[in-house]
Order: sequence, then C-alpha cells, then structure tokens
Amino acid sequence: MKVTYSWLKDFVDLKITPHQLADKLTMAGLEVVSLEESGQDFVFEIEITSNRSDWLSVLGIAREVGAICGLKPKVIKQKETKAKIKDVLPLKILVEDKKDCPYYSARIISNIKVGPSPDWLKKRLESLGCRSVNNIVDITNYILFETGQPLHAFDLDVLGVNVVNIRRAKNNEKIVTIDGQEKILTPEVLVIADLHQPVAVAGIMGGKNSEVTFKTRNILLESAVFNPILVRRAKQKLGLQSESAYRFERGVDLTTAQSASLAAQELILKLASGKLCGFKSVGTSKQSLCVINLEIAAVHKTLGVNISLVKIKQILISLGLSVKVKSKKALTVTVPSFRQDLKLPVDLIEEIARIYGYAQIPTTMPAIRPGEDIVDKKNITAQVKNILSGLGMAEVITYSLVDRALLNKAGVACQEGLLEILNPLSLEQEVLRPALFPSLVRCLAYNLNQQQENIKIFEIADVFSDQGGSVQERPCLALALSGVNSFLIRQGLVKDEVTLLHLKGILEILFSRLGIKNFDFSRYDDNRINIIINSEVVGFMLELSQKITQIFDIKNRQVILAQVDLQKLSSHVNLGKKFLNLPKFPSITRDISFVMKNDLAIKDLLLAIEEKGAPLLRQAKVADYYQGKQIPPGFKGLTISCIYRQDERTLTEDEISPLHNQICALLKERFEINFR
Amino acid sequence: MDINLIQTQINSDLAAVTTIVALEEVRVKYLGRKGLLADLTGSIPTLPVEQRGSFGKEVNALKNMVSNLISEKELTLKNNAALGKKENLDVGMPGIAQELGSIHPITQIIDEICAIFNRIGFSVVAGPEIETEYNNFTGLNIPLEHPSRDAFDTFYLKKYSKLLLRSHTSPVQVRAMKKHKPPLAIIVPGRVYRPDAVDASHLFMFHQIEGFMVDENIQFSDLKGVLEFFAKSVFGTEIKMRFRPHFFPFTEPSAEVDISCIICKGKGCSVCGRKGWLEILGAGMIHPNVFKHVGYDPKKYTGFAFGMGVERIAMLKYGINDIRLFFENDLRFLKQF
Repeated sequence: MKVTYSWLKDFVDLKITPHQLADKLTMAGLEVVSLEESGQDFVFEIEITSNRSDWLSVLGIAREVGAICGLKPKVIKQKETKAKIKDVLPLKILVEDKKDCPYYSARIISNIKVGPSPDWLKKRLESLGCRSVNNIVDITNYILFETGQPLHAFDLDVLGVNVVNIRRAKNNEKIVTIDGQEKILTPEVLVIADLHQPVAVAGIMGGKNSEVTFKTRNILLESAVFNPILVRRAKQKLGLQSESAYRFERGVDLTTAQSASLAAQELILKLASGKLCGFKSVGTSKQSLCVINLEIAAVHKTLGVNISLVKIKQILISLGLSVKVKSKKALTVTVPSFRQDLKLPVDLIEEIARIYGYAQIPTTMPAIRPGEDIVDKKNITAQVKNILSGLGMAEVITYSLVDRALLNKAGVACQEGLLEILNPLSLEQEVLRPALFPSLVRCLAYNLNQQQENIKIFEIADVFSDQGGSVQERPCLALALSGVNSFLIRQGLVKDEVTLLHLKGILEILFSRLGIKNFDFSRYDDNRINIIINSEVVGFMLELSQKITQIFDIKNRQVILAQVDLQKLSSHVNLGKKFLNLPKFPSITRDISFVMKNDLAIKDLLLAIEEKGAPLLRQAKVADYYQGKQIPPGFKGLTISCIYRQDERTLTEDEISPLHNQICALLKERFEINFR
Repeated sequence: MDINLIQTQINSDLAAVTTIVALEEVRVKYLGRKGLLADLTGSIPTLPVEQRGSFGKEVNALKNMVSNLISEKELTLKNNAALGKKENLDVGMPGIAQELGSIHPITQIIDEICAIFNRIGFSVVAGPEIETEYNNFTGLNIPLEHPSRDAFDTFYLKKYSKLLLRSHTSPVQVRAMKKHKPPLAIIVPGRVYRPDAVDASHLFMFHQIEGFMVDENIQFSDLKGVLEFFAKSVFGTEIKMRFRPHFFPFTEPSAEVDISCIICKGKGCSVCGRKGWLEILGAGMIHPNVFKHVGYDPKKYTGFAFGMGVERIAMLKYGINDIRLFFENDLRFLKQF
C-alpha cells in the first residue's frame, strides 16, 4: 500500500517530518518498506498485514497516524442528495443470493463529460503508481485509495436496460475483462450481469464492453460488499489480480461502501458535470457492532505492565473505538464497523500495546517450571552425527523432494509406494524421497566434479512412503564414500582407495560407541550386504555398480554406500555403561600364519578359534592379510593373532602351547589351511 | 696449572662440547689417570707438610666440582638426543593425523540455538514433516480461505487431500499441547517446505526453529526477556533489539523482532537494506483460539510462541550470501564450519 505525505495531511495536521513519521508507523505495525521523495511530496510504501483491511486506505492510515501522534483526524461530513423526480430513471438490482453480496448500491449519473482528469488528480494517482485513464475511472480509483472501498463505473448505455443482476456465472459463460483477456467462467464465480451476459467479475474486474470511455455519456456507479471468500476463490481460479480484489478478499466496510459512493458522486458532478438520475441499494444497510468487555487486569496479565485505565481508555478512543467505563476494573468497548479484526479482549490488548509502544513494555525472565519430561530419549541423531564426524565424515543436507529421474538413475524401484506432490513448481519437487542414498550419490558426483579426491559424506533425514491408505515417515541414516584417501607418512605417500571395508569399519565403530554388541554384516546377494543387529536387518551397504556410477557421470571411482533405518537402529542402542575391571596379569599373544582358500569366510574361522580356545583365549583377530605373488591364485594369506589371558594369574607357555596346537590342528582339519 | 686456572678453564671447555664423544675427551683431560687433577694430586708430596692438608682438601673439592659439571653436561646431551635433535627433523613437513569430518552449518546453528534454550529450561521436541491440514492451519487459527494464508504457500500430497508438507514448525505446538498439559517450554527445530521460486534467498525447503512456552502467568514481557537472552547469546551482548507489532493468526499480540545490524552496527548497509535493523524472527502471545483447539483453558493459561528461519540466522552469522550453498553440499563449503 502506497500513501503520500500530502494526502495524509488532508486528514491530519502533521507536524513531524516524513522520516519521523515512517519510524513511528513502522513501530506501530505499519512497516514502511520504502520512503521516497517525489517532487514536493513523499511516498510511503507500507506493508499492510492481512488482518488490517482498514489500512488499505489513506483515511485508515490517517486515523492510525492520529492515534500514534495524538492528533484528531478531520471528519468529513456528507449528506445524501436525492435526484430530482423528473430526472429519475428506472433501475432494478437483482441479487441472487444475499450471502454472496450482502450489499449492492448503484447510482445513475447522466450527461457526464468524460475527459482527462485535472492535474492534481492525475498527480495523486500517479504518485501511488496508478495510471490515469479518464476522469470517471480516475475518480473511482481515487476514492478507492482514499477510502479503501472499490467502486466500479459501467457505461450505462452498453448495459441496455437498467437492470443489474448479481448472480453466479453459468458454466462456460465468457467475459473479456478490461485487461483484454477472455475468461471462461464457472458457477464458483460471482458476476454482475445485464439481461444477457456478465459485464463484470464481481469485486475483481469490469468487462471490456461496458468500460467507461471518452464516448460514454451515462454511467452506473457501483459500490458493494461482496463475500470475501468468493472473491478470493474467483481471483485464484481466474488468475486475476486487482486493487479491488485485494480489498474485497480482506473484507470491506459497509459504512464505507455507502460513504465512498456518495463521495465519488460528488467528485463526478464536480469534475465531469452530469446529474444524478437515481440511487438504489439492496441488502443490509446497517451492520451490527461488536461489543467487547475488557478487564483492566487482563491487560496487565497479558503484557506484564501496568497501564492505567485512563491511558487505556485514551488509546482505544484514539483508534476510533467507543469506550464506556463499566467499573474501576473494566471497560465496555464498542468496535466500529471498519475494525472487523477486533473480536476478543486480547485483540484490544494488542491495540493498547501497539499504541503504548512495545518498547515501553519491560523485559522479564519467566520462572520456567520443568513440567513433564517430554524429551525423546530414543533420539540418537546427535550422537550419531558426533561419532561420524569424528570418523572423518562430513554431514550433508539434501532436499527431501526429488525428481523421479534421480531415483530411477540410482536404481530405486519406484513404481509403487511413492508419495507424489500435488503442486510441485518443478520436476525436482515431484516426489518425497523413499531413500536417502540417491541424493548422496548425486552429492558425491558433484564433489568429484569439483576435483575433490576423498569424499566421505552422510545424512540423517526422514524418508517417506505410501503404505496404501496411510503415509509413512521414518528417520534414516545414509553414508557414502568415494575416492582415494592419500596420506603422507614418514615412509612416504600412501594411497588408499575406499572399499566396502572402509564403510564397514565406520559402521563398526558407530555401533560399538552406541553400545550395540551383537551386529553382523552378511552378504544378501552379489551386490548387497545386509547390516544385521540382534538378528534384525537394519540396513544395507553396497558398492554401486559401474552401470549406475556411469549414469551419474562418475568416472574411475568406486562408490560405497550404506543406508540404515534409524528407528530400528535406535531400538538396539544401549547407552548404559558398565565398568569392567582392567586385566591385572599380562596376556600372551601367539600368531598363526597360513594360506586358505578364497571362498572360505574369515568370520567362520574366527568363530571356530574362539569356540575352541575359550576360556583362556580372550580374542582372535586378523593381524595381517595378503594376496599376491607368494600366494597361489584362489587363496589368501592370513595371520591371526590369538590372545590368551587369565584373570587370576600370569599364564605360562606350558599352559598355552597344548591349546594353541589344538587350535592349529582344528584349522588345518576343518578349513584345510596350509601353514606358512 | 693451579687450582684457579682449572676452575675457569673447565667452564669454557664444557661450553664448547656438543657431543658425548667430545665430553669424554674433556673428562679424560681433567679426571683421567694422567689428567690435570691427577697432576695436582701428584704434586702434594712436593709441598711443605703444613700446606699439604689444606691443599689436598681444595683439590678434592675441585675434583668433585669437575665431576659434577661433566655429569650435568652428559645429562643435557642425552636429553637433547631423546628430543630428536640428533635426527634434525624438518618441522616444515606436514603433520600426520586422521582427517576430521564436519557437522553441517545448519545443524551447528540448530544445536547452538537449542543449547541456549536448554540452558533456560526448554526441551527439544521433534514433529513429522508430513502434517495434517488441521495442524498446519486450522488448529493454529489460520482460516483456510483468507489472505493470511498467502504467507504459507504449501505443498500438498497428491493422493491425500488433507495431508501436506508442513510450511512451518508451528504445527508441533498443536501436537505437543494436545499431548501434554502445561507447564510447557518447548523448542522444535526442523525442515519445512514452501513452493517458493528458488533464488539466492528463497528455497522450497528450509529449516525453522519454533519455540513456545505455556503456563499460568506468562506475559509479553517474558517473551521479550527470553528472546533478548537468545539474541544476545547468538549475536553478542552489544546488539540492540526491537519488537515491532505485526500480525500472525496464531498469536495476539504479535511482533516481528529485529536486531541491530551485526554488519554495520545499526548505521545502515547493504545487508540490512540501509535500515540498520535485521528482522530475525516472528513472535507473540499464543492466541486464545489455539488454546481452545488443543483443549487448554485460555482463562487459566497464557503463553508465548516464536519462530525463526535457521538459514537466515546462519547466513547472518557466517556472512553467507546465497541460501543455495547450504544444500549444494560442496565439501569446500562444509569444511569451513
């Protein structure tokens, strides 16, 4: 909403500078987003909140300025004049449904001279960014800006008979609006029609055929109140926007609808001569006013500041409200029709605070009572992020909305169970993602493209699916690795390309830190390895096939990724810690080096050793691993460290040797190993 | 050589020694079988009898002193060797360490803000991103067909007409209040979605933090106090704050909250649009209609609520000029935080 300093001065006797006024307006809730000098005048652009339709007018802002500055706005006295009997032309207003149009009034003004507007009028409109058309159209616009009431003037001679019909449009009825567009209408749209066809989309825009031109001689001046929701729906449906619709959808004031029409008539008679040949209105002529009972104690209770009854009364009156002092403790406030946003005591309290000044309200610290314990203790997000970042992983945040193409590219089956967005702005917002890893692969590809050598990323976010009748949203963790980790040690440069084992190592540490003991990685198929905790599959990890990496334009790089259901994971977490005594006696380590067939699983071998060696054997672990020249093809070379220990005393070689030999024999027999 | 001369010479000899081998040479020179001190001892019988006793004592004292000095020097040399000075390491070589990962700057800001509110007794709670139309709008006193909804353009789900992607974190107010009775002090971080055209300051997905508090005597002045504590904790104690009246359907009275521009300190610059102020959040006293929707007695309870955009706070705090950087996830960007 734009308003000029000089126009405001028509109504309030301003003594402060435009800049001072801008500050005051901003601090009263009318945020001045720009203040520009224009000739001798200043133009304020004010952001009006959607609850204050009364501020969409110079008069409304002037009223506010009066309240802020302690000035009384000038009141304009109006008197309805009647057309002379000999001039009266027949006029019929038909309102199909009062709910659609609670009030409609029309004036017939004849023998007008349509011409250019006088300079002062042109200037005022132009300073608000409104183009001058002709004196009649300009006057309707002028009154709209001044009072907030949209008016429309029809060329009466185009309407034919003097009948206006306010009705719903018929299916497929058409209208060409003033901006030259043809719109196809439906019964959702309210129109003003003559006997044959729509001549205006009610409250939004007039029709091209009945617009006032320099040839127009007689006009019908409309001032009405339309149902805000109807105007809003029609505006959205037809894709039309206008100053008029902007005000109607926020609600206009019946009293103003009446006074604005009269003000426009006076100005037309003055600037375009002509004479009044009839006035008719249908519908409600008086609005019932809202009465609010305001307890003074409630003001203090809500704001935390004591404002006296006298001050409260003064503030409310300055805003145009009528106030009766009911007792020392309460006021009865009658709300004028232009303030339909005021319904509850708390609405009045805001008005009091606004004018009193938010800055004058003290700053206190509430005494916070802990209340129920409502923190979700199962939420492990923070711990997981902490552990992973400590392991060199970078957290990323990617969009939850993705395009189907991305899912297809990453090989996610997405025929069923996808949640689609009804109103995406682009293909990238087509669906809610059912998996995180496709976004991570895209992120990897982006970073590889930026010449990053070693990429380790993870994300925690919800994934979504359609369960046929209900929606599912689950927290999920995804990790992705790619590239080569090169590090310089004293022996020189070491280059280490990531493999599934790198990701496995990260997950092992993550699980251990979360107090999960019983986890396992088991091959599901050629591609996929299941992550299992306490026999429940909680996720998977895999190496992305070359076919897919190529689609993502990733060249000569492996992509390793994993996805874990965070809800399942958290159900296995055990963060309760228990101290175990430190060993008092030293352990003895014996290594076994051997060659075994490639297709035998190390896991089975270690299990067999531990089973056989218990209880003296405390741990069996892979100490070395090799494949290459010395090892025949189809075999792998291993060194396993066996660690023996007793809690009560130091073990002797004699105690261990027989057991260790038995273990070696077992391995030879069951796993056909060859010692090296 | 007399005693005095030896006393001065031993010091200069030792100062010149840098290796154990050289030290051994010095030891032999003074304490060896044919060393200087042996000479002195050997000269005792040539002295008159009455001088022999005192001279012998002086020679012994000198012997002890020399022996101590040499031991000390030996210790120093060995220590130096242990410190690696022997190897002559070039400390310009890169250090050897495991690389550290990073936490996304948005997460860091969320954690920082939640920690601030934790300190004064707020609990962190989460809510789903798929919401009902009721929780996102109606329950918050936002009429379905009113221009006040224009500020909340919303993504709807195709097959579920009453489900949408939450356009703000405020629906968690409705959820939490329906589930728990006052007193409540809750902070809710999370993703929100709005069909906005993408540019340097708009995205269709971003993060918000919602906070609210309900009890029997919560006042607007408390809202001011809590938010001032928050803003000063995040942006520094020297910032100024102002509350401007505003309109939100779910609060009454409502306010927009500005801080003095952290770039120009309130003088006016391009970041604050020459205003000297930066808007950082919206707030207000919870509307009685919201309390009615969740079954709280608006006569008994009052409360405040506030909400802020996390990306905006992060951009201001870190001086980031394009919101898209947060979701591009360029490692060179992420590793800066």
